[in-house]
Amino acid sequence: MIKIDLFEETIFQTIKRGATEISPDVKLAFEQAIAREQSPEARKGLQATYDSMALSKVRQNPLCPDTGWPIFYFKVGNKFEIEGGFMAMEEATRRAVARATKLGYLRATMKHPLTGYDPGNNIGMNIPDFTYQFVDGDAIEMSYVAKGGGSECFGGTRHRIVAFADGVKGIEKFILDCVVASTRAGAVCPPTVLGIGIGGTANVAANLAKEAACLRTVGSKHPDPMFRKIEEDLYEAINSLGIGLLGAGGSTSVLGVNVEYAYTHIAGIAVATSTNCMVARRASSRIDADGKVTAMSSPNWFEGR
Amino acid sequence: MAEYHLQAPLKNEDIEQLKLGDTIYISGEVFTCRSRLHKYIFDEGHELPFSTDDRNVLIHNGPIIVKENGEWSLKSFMPTSSIRFEKWGAKSVENWKLKMIIGKTTMGKSTAEMMKKMKCVHCSPRSVSPNLWIDSIEVQDVHLFDELGSIEASWFFKVKDLGPFIVDIDTEGNNYFDALDDDIKKRKDEALKKLGIDPDYEFTKLY
Repeated sequence: MIKIDLFEETIFQTIKRGATEISPDVKLAFEQAIAREQSPEARKGLQATYDSMALSKVRQNPLCPDTGWPIFYFKVGNKFEIEGGFMAMEEATRRAVARATKLGYLRATMKHPLTGYDPGNNIGMNIPDFTYQFVDGDAIEMSYVAKGGGSECFGGTRHRIVAFADGVKGIEKFILDCVVASTRAGAVCPPTVLGIGIGGTANVAANLAKEAACLRTVGSKHPDPMFRKIEEDLYEAINSLGIGLLGAGGSTSVLGVNVEYAYTHIAGIAVATSTNCMVARRASSRIDADGKVTAMSSPNWFEGR
Repeated sequence: MAEYHLQAPLKNEDIEQLKLGDTIYISGEVFTCRSRLHKYIFDEGHELPFSTDDRNVLIHNGPIIVKENGEWSLKSFMPTSSIRFEKWGAKSVENWKLKMIIGKTTMGKSTAEMMKKMKCVHCSPRSVSPNLWIDSIEVQDVHLFDELGSIEASWFFKVKDLGPFIVDIDTEGNNYFDALDDDIKKRKDEALKKLGIDPDYEFTKLY
């Protein structure tokens, strides 16, 4: 049985790493973007962002002050056991969020939706958010996502029910409309990681889109050729738009397009987008049943991608 | 595109020379404001507890600042999205006699019109690089910390050559992003055609 103290320290370190260190796949995507960017101004900005991110690791300060919504994904082994059970695990996660906020790794961003009241620790009704996936085994893998407000609030997260009759064309038209609207003046902090959920009820599509944006390894491909083609076609289409860094023009508008899907009622196909900003912050850790802690380089949320 | 190193407080002649797309760096005393302060002043009728006469550069921003050994320590800084303050933008320019707003994205039509009338510009960042900025910022003071919380409070900063930012609304109320929008729209039509989709594609109406 995993001790709750070990879990709390591990989730705290995961939060700290997610807020202050760029993931290896996002770092690589940035290096590739800098190498191929056509606009000298955008290249300068990408380089400045890259340099600042490198300094965040050294200084252990946030990659961006908008550390946004604290979101947690747990991939739980069916035989995983933790002292105090899952309620204790959530409570320990809340304590870790509060501690990370107090120390300045996270900004006190979460507030009451009507009054704006600030508890000062990012803890409130239904926040942090927890999602679980159950798998074989006795280990737990945890991912922390810092979901910034720019990419979430300004048109990067939307959904539409597309008629089955409209098919892939309708889906792709909706996505391109969303991308153009949400990147104006750099609203969603492009170049983004675009997640797309297709199918399921609207909330299922929205969750798939969020997980595709925040948990898929940037540069990974969907194994099903039909969905991989949508990813590749939209990646090329969006990067041809000239949106560029923070919407001021340039050849790099998206770092990755990730599609996930669910079976659905074909009266109408829920299509959802979720956009992650260029910094795409997340970190993942694993605790084995013997208490061994491993910092993971990617979330391993979707098998092999 | 020209580059300017400006000293706050700004005068009309400092900003009337600025053209869309010019790069600016700012030095001097500035203040921050976010949603709750706008609402507190313009919707709830409170008085701004300080004068902006000699502090006429506003940064839309919610920094991470914590107290360490009794001193404020700035952990991270990045201008935040201005467009969401549009409801209050014109009032802030007029009542606070602002000469420059720095924020991500841009402002809308009503603020741009007031910027033209009062002479004010909007400037936005071209990178997400908090660590290249925080060394240029000295935290001077904070107002309304208890009432509004750490990130919605108004921070006073003394900044030195803080930038680069580009001018996206000039003193004539023109917007840098308008021309870009037209280009992107044209390229979108091309991209759609390449995907075999009519740019005027009509969705089947389900509701």
